[in-house]
Amino acid sequence: MTAQTIAQTVVPALGEIPDFQVGDRVRTAVRFPVGHYRLPTYLRGKTGVVERVIPTMGVDNEEEGYGRNAGSKGHYYRIAIPMTEIWAEYKGQATDGLRIEVFETWLERI
Amino acid sequence: MHVENHDHDEPGHDHHHDHGHSDPHEEISITELPGYYDMLETAVRELLVERKLFGADEIRRQIEVLDSRTPALGAKVVARAWVDGEFRKRLLEDGRKGCEELGISFYDDTQLIVLENTPEVHNLIVCTLCSCYPRPVLGLPPDWYKLKPYRARAVYEPRAVLEEFGTHIPDDVEIVVSDSTAMVRYLVLPMRPAGTEGLSEEELAALVTRDAMIGVIPVEYQERAA
Amino acid sequence: MSSEGLVKKLPNDIGGDASGKIERVEHELLPWEKRCHALADVLDFHKIINTEEKRRGVEALGSEMIGKLSYYERWIVAFANILFQKGILTPSDIATKMAEVEARAARQLKSHPNG
Repeated sequence: MTAQTIAQTVVPALGEIPDFQVGDRVRTAVRFPVGHYRLPTYLRGKTGVVERVIPTMGVDNEEEGYGRNAGSKGHYYRIAIPMTEIWAEYKGQATDGLRIEVFETWLERI
Repeated sequence: MHVENHDHDEPGHDHHHDHGHSDPHEEISITELPGYYDMLETAVRELLVERKLFGADEIRRQIEVLDSRTPALGAKVVARAWVDGEFRKRLLEDGRKGCEELGISFYDDTQLIVLENTPEVHNLIVCTLCSCYPRPVLGLPPDWYKLKPYRARAVYEPRAVLEEFGTHIPDDVEIVVSDSTAMVRYLVLPMRPAGTEGLSEEELAALVTRDAMIGVIPVEYQERAA
Repeated sequence: MSSEGLVKKLPNDIGGDASGKIERVEHELLPWEKRCHALADVLDFHKIINTEEKRRGVEALGSEMIGKLSYYERWIVAFANILFQKGILTPSDIATKMAEVEARAARQLKSHPNG
């Protein structure tokens, strides 16, 4: 078998394939976890675009905060959000933007 | 720089004296009692060493690691990217691998995205929730990076923040603020200043400052008058 | 502000808050601060306290302590709390050891009165 046909036989585990791809439009969730969270409140409920899929999968850092160091991992995405989407009164250019890495549990497709 | 009474400060002293006497501090002469938090740190560390959760040598080693990480490393990466287009491409593709090519190890499990400044885009890095910073390549962050005014304001008025650093970004340049929160750290690849065509890689590295790699100022070059 | 705000928004979550002019302050770390940083790294390497647990521990100090303690003061207090929560150390272990550390320092001070 050639390398390519071998690759075709590989079955990725659940969760290994990222849910989102570069260019997908997503919205961050609006919710208020108690105790520890890693999506700042100023970025809740905002619409953006996936700019990169972070290649290294990781443990959900909100669970890591309570000592879960290993186990199933998920994807982080670098999300591009326009400043004008975040701040209604943004003083700057319409093209200015913010980037943040967001764990998959915070993102929904739109 | 020695921040502790490292035992190798004393000529002829055994470097690995862990035989029952693992405390190098007994030998320090002090001029005042340590403060509360200083003693708390010593107590926590010594208790954990006594319980064999890690060795005292690991702390000493990590202090040496921290001391070896300075903005000079980041400057070396930037200068290489300026002179070597292929390296620049690889660095922008995978920042960590690019740095590792130059011998800079990542001791803290983080990834690195290198953000390239261009005439069209200016990048700025911040960590609003804590103080994430590309420590393996820049060392420890300055206090202002960890304090509220920078962390709070960089994400909603980056242009005003940059003006406070004396940096004016023209209206037609897009500003991109990266708020670091998880395993990825950022390093800004500043623009190479005009007039530096004749400079060596080493001379270029000497122009690159920490603040330019955070993105709050540009790299400046004053051509010396002949 | 309703009390909900205190629960929903952690005291370290300050992106977008109104704040003053940026003073470009920095300082060379004190020896204990550098040891504290190295301690944090070693605790993470061994996953005794990972970096995210450290952040959570700092947030859990509450806004008054976050506002008044310095950066590494917050870290070392958070480490102590987390070690208690995990049953690795007890408050009395630390109290006893701190008394020992203080007595040792006092002896050093006495034996080298001129530093």
